[in-house]
Amino acid sequence: MRRVSGVFDTSYFQDMMVFRTKYHLVGIGTLIAAFLMLPIFAGDFWLAFISTTAVTVIALQGLNILSGYCGQISIGQTAFMAVGAYSSAILAGRFGLPFWLCLPCAGLGAGLVGMLFGLTSLRIKGYYLALATIAAQFIIIYMIKTPFPEITGGAIALHVPDVTVGGFIFETETHFYYLIIAFTILMTFFAKSLMRSHFGRAFIAIRDNDIAAEAMGMNLYRYKLLAFFIGCFYAGVAGSLWAAYARVISPDDFTLMNSIWQMGMLIVGGLGSTLGPFFGALFIKLLNELCVVAGPFITSIIPQIGAQLSASLVEMSFGITIVLFLVYEPRGIAHRWEILKESYRMWPFSY
Amino acid sequence: MINLIQLLTTGVSVGVIYGLIAVGFVLIYKSSQIFNFAQGEMVMVGAFLMWTFLVAVGTPLWLGIILVFGIVGLAGYGLERFPLRPMIGQPILATIMITMGIAVFLRGLAILLWASNIDIKFPSFVTERMINVFGIPLSNVMLGSFFFALILVVALSLFFAYSRTGLHMRAAAENHQLAQSMGIRVTRAIAQSWAIAAIVSTAGGFLLGYMRGIDFGLSEIGLIAMAAALVGGLESFKGAMLGGVIIGVAETLTGCYIGHGLKEVVPFVIMVFVLIYKPYGLFGLERIERV
Repeated sequence: MRRVSGVFDTSYFQDMMVFRTKYHLVGIGTLIAAFLMLPIFAGDFWLAFISTTAVTVIALQGLNILSGYCGQISIGQTAFMAVGAYSSAILAGRFGLPFWLCLPCAGLGAGLVGMLFGLTSLRIKGYYLALATIAAQFIIIYMIKTPFPEITGGAIALHVPDVTVGGFIFETETHFYYLIIAFTILMTFFAKSLMRSHFGRAFIAIRDNDIAAEAMGMNLYRYKLLAFFIGCFYAGVAGSLWAAYARVISPDDFTLMNSIWQMGMLIVGGLGSTLGPFFGALFIKLLNELCVVAGPFITSIIPQIGAQLSASLVEMSFGITIVLFLVYEPRGIAHRWEILKESYRMWPFSY
Repeated sequence: MINLIQLLTTGVSVGVIYGLIAVGFVLIYKSSQIFNFAQGEMVMVGAFLMWTFLVAVGTPLWLGIILVFGIVGLAGYGLERFPLRPMIGQPILATIMITMGIAVFLRGLAILLWASNIDIKFPSFVTERMINVFGIPLSNVMLGSFFFALILVVALSLFFAYSRTGLHMRAAAENHQLAQSMGIRVTRAIAQSWAIAAIVSTAGGFLLGYMRGIDFGLSEIGLIAMAAALVGGLESFKGAMLGGVIIGVAETLTGCYIGHGLKEVVPFVIMVFVLIYKPYGLFGLERIERV
């Protein structure tokens, strides 16, 4: 870690600080304040955009811990989100639990289901594990769709009751915006802290070489299962927030394609970095909005293409983006951001 | 009883097509150690392309097959050149996501080109009728596609066992560096395997599309074929065929006796059990890892 000229670390504690200079604190404070002030300036469209992006960021933070730090490839993150969303909706709807209790229960439920499928990671890894998580995706969605339609609402939809905390009902876009932003900050803080602890170091050791990590005395089973639990806990919390926000959930919100998209966002943002999920989710979501706007525009000029252009553009641009990032910048936007900061600090002697 | 036998034959004939697509999957995995998650989209795009040539353009069957196989073969060859060659030596997640990126791109392309053609079918080349084979009534379409798939697989096996190109590809699969030092162009071998895999999946898409209509659901076959390849072990063609048949039969039987919803997940349930109890499949190579 390079510091600005004139700032020297004289202790290990200082070296490890997240906010080393007061400009760091001012910067993050300004950013958070800006987000809190946003509802004054922005319309409902942008608030909704940021809310959905922030929910995705929470899920991505979990996926980042699981795949980016611990190296356990999971292509079933939205299925675990579905577990969280459905358990939260069912707990609130059928048992009348308050939201502040539903949310951690949803996280725990998703975490436990994730651990169940994570058991396969004890025997297999790499491609095989990716396949196991794809299987998890299909099996979980099947469990939601078919066997108990009277509880889960089957293939159609499940209505989620209003979110109330202590008599306060969350109704408007602004209310949900604050709720989701608060959780995003909390979960990001938790992820960052966790990855700086010995858990984070153990995860990174397992990612880099699990046999070597085991030979050095790490309990692989414990850490791999823990990574699955934490990653899926995040997914569960994100799912619960999504259910509260969307009011109606259906299995179609949580398909394999969505899982692939989340993994793609993580790749674009940068694996193994707390900033990565923010960059990735924002980049891909903005790209989507651009395609949705550009599609009808192009169709109005060249009507022969047809109305499906924006749907097609969304998919094609995403595919091309992933391929280009993997070939030219596999470490994602977060890495570019680091380079930018570095060259800013070293200016005019940056290289 | 006759019902069960009919179900079994249906399962086997579908399973052989799954096996065929799984063979394309194994081919790529063997030559470049890449899991091709875009296989299902290749099947779908292949079927749509075939439909375009046979119905929209109206070429005769033999010419259509030659043209489409040529086009997808070239496309497969080209795929190796751009996004896949830089992936040599990259971590597994990168290779997974690059094929998924290709898959999403192909899906977008298919939406752009063919989304307006709903509920399309291939023209019937033969009138479907029942033939009695040892007292079991079998549909001639099913038998025909069964033998077509079987011939393709046998031809591929022979190609790999005896032809010079096939041997090169097998050598490349074994060890890139060793193959290169023996004067084999590994990149070309990988490109050829992608081309063949694209052709094989198009053939699978054609057969499946002929049996059940062409739609975007065809892309799910890729994951089922992946389950089939996994059951058979990822390094073996006969394993892929056998895995395909196992998956196909299991699917038809559960679809009939248990429920239609479960039919869609049966391949994945089988996949999880294989992954837990026998991760290297029936005929796969067990890898021993050292630090």
